[in-house]
Amino acid sequence: MKTLAFAVATALAATAHTGSAFAQEKTVHITGFGAKSGVVRSFGINSEAAMLAAADMINKQGGVKLADGSKAKIAVDFLDDRCTAEEGISVLRRIYGTDALVAVGPTCSNVAEPLFGILQKKVDDAGDSGLQMPVFTDVAIKVGLAKISEWAFRNVPNETIMYNSLFYWLKTKYPNASTLYGGVEEDFAHSRASWYVVMKDRAEVNGYKVLGNSKWLLNDTNFATQVREMKAANADIVAIAAHPFTTCGVLKEMQRQGVKPKVLVGLTSSSSLETLQGCAKQAEGMIIPTSFAPVTKEGKQAAETTAKFKGAADLHSMAAWENMFILKQVIESEKISGDKSQLQADRRKIRDGLAKLKETKGLLGVTKRTDDREADKPYLFVHASKGEWKVLHNPL
Amino acid sequence: MLDFIQAVSDGLLFGATYALIGIGFTLVFGVMHKLNLAYAAASVGAAYAGLLILPLSAGAPAWLVFLCAFLAGGVIGWLVYLTCFHFIPLSNPLAALMATVGMLLLIDEIIVHSTAGMPQNYPAMFDDVMLRAGEFTLRGDLLLVAGVSILCMIGLLALLYRTRLGLATRAVSQQAVAAQLCGIRVGRVNGTTFVITGLLGGIAGALIGASVGALSPLLTAPLTVKGLIVTVIGGLGSIPGAIIAGFLVGAFENVFQQFRGVTERDLYVMLLLFAFLIFRPSGLFRH
Amino acid sequence: MDFYYGLAQTMGIHTLLGLSAYIVLLTGQVTMAQAAFFAVGAYAAGMLTVLGGWPILPALGAGGVLGAATACAVGFPALRVKGLMLVVATLAFGEGVRLFFFNFDYQVAKGDIKVGPLGGEGFRQIRYFQENGWTTGEAMLFIWGFVVLAMAALWWFDRSRYGAVLRAVGEDELAAQSVGVNLTAVKVSAMTVGGAIAGIGGGLYAHYTTHIEHANFNVLLATFAIAYPIVGGLKNVFGTLAAVVFVQAFLIEGLRFLGDWRNLLFGALIVAAMNLRPYGFLGGRRA
Repeated sequence: MKTLAFAVATALAATAHTGSAFAQEKTVHITGFGAKSGVVRSFGINSEAAMLAAADMINKQGGVKLADGSKAKIAVDFLDDRCTAEEGISVLRRIYGTDALVAVGPTCSNVAEPLFGILQKKVDDAGDSGLQMPVFTDVAIKVGLAKISEWAFRNVPNETIMYNSLFYWLKTKYPNASTLYGGVEEDFAHSRASWYVVMKDRAEVNGYKVLGNSKWLLNDTNFATQVREMKAANADIVAIAAHPFTTCGVLKEMQRQGVKPKVLVGLTSSSSLETLQGCAKQAEGMIIPTSFAPVTKEGKQAAETTAKFKGAADLHSMAAWENMFILKQVIESEKISGDKSQLQADRRKIRDGLAKLKETKGLLGVTKRTDDREADKPYLFVHASKGEWKVLHNPL
Repeated sequence: MLDFIQAVSDGLLFGATYALIGIGFTLVFGVMHKLNLAYAAASVGAAYAGLLILPLSAGAPAWLVFLCAFLAGGVIGWLVYLTCFHFIPLSNPLAALMATVGMLLLIDEIIVHSTAGMPQNYPAMFDDVMLRAGEFTLRGDLLLVAGVSILCMIGLLALLYRTRLGLATRAVSQQAVAAQLCGIRVGRVNGTTFVITGLLGGIAGALIGASVGALSPLLTAPLTVKGLIVTVIGGLGSIPGAIIAGFLVGAFENVFQQFRGVTERDLYVMLLLFAFLIFRPSGLFRH
Repeated sequence: MDFYYGLAQTMGIHTLLGLSAYIVLLTGQVTMAQAAFFAVGAYAAGMLTVLGGWPILPALGAGGVLGAATACAVGFPALRVKGLMLVVATLAFGEGVRLFFFNFDYQVAKGDIKVGPLGGEGFRQIRYFQENGWTTGEAMLFIWGFVVLAMAALWWFDRSRYGAVLRAVGEDELAAQSVGVNLTAVKVSAMTVGGAIAGIGGGLYAHYTTHIEHANFNVLLATFAIAYPIVGGLKNVFGTLAAVVFVQAFLIEGLRFLGDWRNLLFGALIVAAMNLRPYGFLGGRRA
C-alpha cells in the first residue's frame, strides 16, 4: 500500500500544471497538440515549430489586442498525443484545465474523430455534457470530421475540390490519357476515404474510365500481386492513395516490374519530405495537389521563420501557421478579455468568432470557410523533381 | 492458372525474408527458450544502424551497409541480453518477457527520434534483377535473400551441432543447473548466443530493408508477429523448419490475398496457424 | 479537475484490462488474447447503446457476457498448448478478432445518417455519456464502481479456496493435478472470468473514447494487458492497480514535462522496473 500511495502522490504531483511563469505583461495561451511519436513524429515537430514561429512573429509585431485595449503576448505550448485516441482525449482535457483559449490540433484523423466525439455536439445544449473547448485543427484531414461537433473547426484542404481540379487539368494537359487505375491503403481511414470518396469519384466525373484499384495495408511490404494487377490494367494514369512508406514500396515494385504510367498521382499528405526521404528516385514526376508551396511572399517568410524553429514548411505545418494568425484576428475581433476569470466566456467567444468567419487569409490566397466548419483552401499542383517538390501548375 | 502460379512464386520468394527472421526467432525461442519479444525490433534497429555508415562514406556500396547492420545487430543483441536476461533470475520468464517488451519500445523510440519517424531509403543488391521466363518473373534480390537464409542455416547448424559453444548452448537451454555443474558458464554462453542471434538479426533486418526498399518503424510489429508464426509452424527450435515455414507462410499469404483480398488475408494466416496448432502442434519438424 | 477525472477514467479502464489478465496469469497461462475480449465487449456494448438504444448498464452486462463466452470458447483449445505456443496462439487469436472487426460492417439508418461499425472506418458517435448529460466526474465514478467490484471479486477469490487452487495450478500443474485439482475447470474458469472483466472494460472503453476501430485493439493493447499484472506483481490485485498508476499517471502523463524524453524513458523505465523488481512492485509471493 505504501508503494501505491507513493506512486499516486508522485503521479499527482507530476501531473499538476505548473502554470505560466510570472509575467509582467499579459499573455494569452494557445496550446497545440499532435503526434510527436511514431511514424508521424515529423508532423508534430513541424506543427509545433510553425506555431512557435507564428507566435514569435505576432509577438514581435506587438502581440494581440485585448478587449480593454491592452496588448498581450501569445504563449504557445505543444503536447504530444502519440497519435492515440486515449491520449488525445486526455491531452485535450488537460488543455481544458489550463487557461488556454483554444487548442490547435490534432495531427491524426483517428484521434480527431474520437476527440470531436467528446466535445459538446451543439452549443447551448444543456443536456449534452460534452467538453466545451474550441479545437482548431491543422492537420487531421479525413473528410467530414468537423461536422461532428460545433466546437470543432478545421483548416485543412478540401480534397474533393483539389482532385477535381487536378483531373480536369490533367485532361487538358494529357489529352491522350483516358484510363485510370488506383492503389489504396485499405486500413488507413484517410487513404481509404480519399480513394473511394474523392479520387475515384472525381476521376470519373472528369471523364476518366476507372479500370479498377489494387489494395494493400499500411504496413505491407510485398506488393508484387498488386503491381501485377496494375500492370495488367495498363492504365494511362495511376493514382496512389497511400502514405509514404507503402507508396515507396509500391513505386519500387513498379520500377521492378517495369510499370510506367503516363501520369502518376499521389495522396495529398504524401507531398512532404517523407516520400522523398524514402524513394526520391522512384517518386520522380509524381503529381500531388497541395495547399502549400512557398510561392507567395508570405509563404516564403512563413517557411523561413518556421525553419528557424527547426520545422519544415509543408501543407500541414503551414496550416498551423495560418491558424495562429486566424486566431489572432478572432481574438481581436471578438474582444477577448484575456482574463482568467472569464476563461470559459472567452473560449465561447473564440468558438463563435471562428464560426462567423466566411473567409480567412491563407498563405496561398484567400481561404473560404464553409458552413460545416471546414475550409476551402486555394491549392496548386506540385511534382517531385530531382528530390524536391516543385510547383507544377498554379491554378490561381 | 498462370496468375495463381505467379502469386505462389511471388509469395514464396518474399517468404525468404520471413525465413531469415524466422531462423533467429526459432533459435531464441526454441533453442534457448527465451521469450524475447524485442528480436524483430532489434533486427530493424540494426538495419537502421547500418545506415549510419552512409554519411561517413558517401556512396558506400550496399554490402557495406549490410555489414554494418550485421555488426550493429551483434551489439544490440548483447545489449538486449544484458538488460533483459543477465540480471533477471532465470526462474522468472515473465519478468524477462516484460523487460524485452520495454526494450522493444525503447528501440522503436530511438529509431523514431533519430529519423523523425520518416521512412529511410535502403540500398539493395540485385533489386533491379528480374529473371524472366516468358510471362513469368522472379525477383533477383529475393533469390539472394533465400540464398543467404540457406547459408545462415548451414552456418548455424554447424555452430549448434559441431562446436563446443553450440553444445554448451544446447546444454544450458535444456538444463541450466546441470550445465553449470559441468563447468559451463551460463552467463557467458547465453551472452555469446545472444550476440550470434543478434548478428543474424542484423543481416535479416538489412536484407528485409533491402527487399522492401525503405525502413520504417512500421516494420517492427508485423515482423514480430510473422516471426512468431513462422517459429511455431516450423517447429520450435528447428532451423530447417523455420526456413520452410517462412516460405510456406509467404506463399499462403499471397494465395489468400489473391482469393480473398487484402483485408481478410491475415485472418486466413491466423487460421493456418490454428490448423497447425490443432493438428500438428509440434510444427513441421520436431526439434 | 476534468483532466484528473478523465485520467482516473483511463486508469479505471486499464485496471479492468489488467485485472482480466491477472486472473489468467495466476493459473500460469500467459495470455495475449485479453485485448480480443476487450474488443468484443467494446463493439457489443457500443452497438447496444447506439443501435439498440439500450441503457448503459445492461449494455455493459451484455458486453461482459459476450466477453466471457468468447473467453470460454478460447479456454478449451488453449488447454492443449503451453508456454510460448500459448502466447503465439492467443496472439494470433487476438489478431484474428481484430481482423474480424476490420471487416465487420453493421450499419443502421438513424434519421438521415447511418450509424454502426463500418469495417476499417470504425464505429463512431458512441456518445451515451455525453448525450445523457453525465459529467466527467460521474462517468469516472461509474467506471470505478466496476473496478472496485472486479477488485473485490478477485480479492475474495484470492482469499478463498478457488484462489489457492488457481495459484496451485500456476505454480505446478502436475502437483495440482496429483492432488485432484481439475485442471480444465480451473484454467477455463479463470479465462472466462478474465473474459467477463475484459468485456466490461471494453464496453466502458467504447463509451469513453466515443469512437472505436479495429486498430485500437492491437498487439500493443494485448501487451499492456499482461504488462500491468507482471509489472505490478501477482501477489494481489493492488499490484495491478499500482502498475496502472505507474504507467498511466506517472509514465504517460506525469513525465510530460520532460517533453521528448518521455517516450524514450517509457521503455527504459519498464526495463529498469523489471530488473529491479522482477517479481513486480508488490512482489509475487502470497503474503
